[in-house]
Amino acid sequence: MFETCLKNDLKTLNAHLPRKRKTLTELLEEGHPHVECGDGSTHFFKKKELEYLSEILNNTEKQMLLLPIIIEVGSAEGGMAVRSKTGVEAKIFSRILEMPMTCTSDMIPIYRPQLQVLRNVLKTSTQYVFTT
Amino acid sequence: MSTKVQVTRPTKIELARLKRRLKLAMRIQKIVKDRLSILIMEFLDTVKECASAKEKLLANFRETYKALSITTGYHGYAFLERELLASDMAPKICTATRNVAGVRLPVFEMEGTDAFNVVMGNTPDTSSFIDNSTTLSRESLKAVIGLAELQNSLELLGTEINKVKRINNALEHIVIPGLDTTIKYLTMKFEERDREEIARLKYVKMLIEKREAYAY
Repeated sequence: MFETCLKNDLKTLNAHLPRKRKTLTELLEEGHPHVECGDGSTHFFKKKELEYLSEILNNTEKQMLLLPIIIEVGSAEGGMAVRSKTGVEAKIFSRILEMPMTCTSDMIPIYRPQLQVLRNVLKTSTQYVFTT
Repeated sequence: MSTKVQVTRPTKIELARLKRRLKLAMRIQKIVKDRLSILIMEFLDTVKECASAKEKLLANFRETYKALSITTGYHGYAFLERELLASDMAPKICTATRNVAGVRLPVFEMEGTDAFNVVMGNTPDTSSFIDNSTTLSRESLKAVIGLAELQNSLELLGTEINKVKRINNALEHIVIPGLDTTIKYLTMKFEERDREEIARLKYVKMLIEKREAYAY
């Protein structure tokens, strides 16, 4: 029975991930910016955060940035990482953390103290995914 | 804590199955631990924010009451009541959810703040006292909404942390040690069986050798 519980728990662990991510431009145009999650729920974005992001980025970058930014927990050694093909996320993190962030092989490693700062600023624009 | 050996049939297939289960349990425990640490981090951040939001709210209320009492003293109750009737427009609050590590947390956002401001501030015969009271009241309302969001999030995160902790403890103290003990028990049993088999074979070999020696 316990195993069944665990299996169900694992199934629902990453169910909150969005079915399809939206670009910042798309979200800025929406009245109530949100994305639909895998479990059928909706994840809303705070307008303040979107406005903050739009201040940092130019128009091309706004179209490239997919939200929510997904933070992979357990992917890097003892830390977390964000997958980024375009490198726009690195620019945002550099601005928030006030330090240069590098994107090596499509991954931006993030450490715990940095994560706290990032989550304070981007509460609704980031989401966790658990990997092994 | 003593762990009980739970095995239905001592076979090699069962041993392989148990090893697979142990591996899975360890993987799950790693994920659960990661999730727990993330939830605790979010909880502590929310606690800090909640404390600062409460302080801000109290300061806002203090200022608002002071401004309102000054306004009342300057204009009188009748005028203030008339102004309040004119501004009888309920602010819209947009409620939604956000997801933090599998926990659905509420998001409250005040809508139409500009309209609220216009109605409150643009009536005739207003003074700077009323404007000030309006601004402070609006700030207080925003702070109340912010605090409501944080308090609710805090409760939900706390409940989820308890749940995840129980799962982690069950894995750490019952499931994994239980599987470990059963695997050890089975391994020892198979080793013992092997040793017995070797001893038996040696004995049979000795008997055959003796029989062959007597035959000549």
